[in-house]
Amino acid sequence: MIHENELWILSFYRRSEISGALFFGRLAQTVRAGPIQRDLTKHFSDESLHAWYWTDCIEKLGSKPIALDHSYQDQYIEAAGLPGNIMEILAITQVFEKRVIGQYALHRALPGLPPEVEATLQRIMQDEKWHIQWVGDALVSLESEYGKEHIAKTIERCAAADRKVYEKTLDEHSGRLEALIAQRRNREKR
Amino acid sequence: MIDPEAVRGRIATFLRLQPGKAVDGAVLTDLVTESFVLVQLVIDLQEEFGIRLSGEGLREVRTVGDLITTVTSRA
Repeated sequence: MIHENELWILSFYRRSEISGALFFGRLAQTVRAGPIQRDLTKHFSDESLHAWYWTDCIEKLGSKPIALDHSYQDQYIEAAGLPGNIMEILAITQVFEKRVIGQYALHRALPGLPPEVEATLQRIMQDEKWHIQWVGDALVSLESEYGKEHIAKTIERCAAADRKVYEKTLDEHSGRLEALIAQRRNREKR
Repeated sequence: MIDPEAVRGRIATFLRLQPGKAVDGAVLTDLVTESFVLVQLVIDLQEEFGIRLSGEGLREVRTVGDLITTVTSRA
């Protein structure tokens, strides 16, 4: 069985991947056909798969996912405002994906990581690199329509909102992560 | 020029609202279970009516009437 803090964190990741899948699935259904629709559909598929990886990982560790009623993304609209077009959605996505990969890298660096968690993080982080890549490329492709400077300012605004959400939402997450680190270090000392 | 009633109809269809629910004063966040649906609605309206909206332009939008005004004023 895994520690309560680890179970909560893995369940939080699972919940966030589910939120991402639902969001990108809805968008893939709505945006017009073209390269962005194509990559959004793949992104939707990846996020669904990631939710499955976390579910499987938690089960392999002898637990069951906790049903959490909020995810990181839920706070985004409140902080950044309702995005009005596909460029603004992609700007938020880029900032969010960078946050996710940073968070997963931080988790991966924890001492005494169970091999199941390590393998899941490694698998997901490969996909996350592609997510950042395709969203970046899509934003470049929108420069002629929205303007390079305007896109850069939008990303900047989203990054500021992200910092606000991170501070607010991840208080509990960070607390649990720190507790987990302390617990692992104590175990190593013994 | 975009017909305001066509926008109302699209909003009602998209959100699967019962007839008469998409009134001007209806608060958008009360009509959806999660705010991501509103993001999808905004994209749908742009695709349907061939307009471009922005987050800035939606900042003051709270109700169905506000959204209809925003969309029709973009034509």
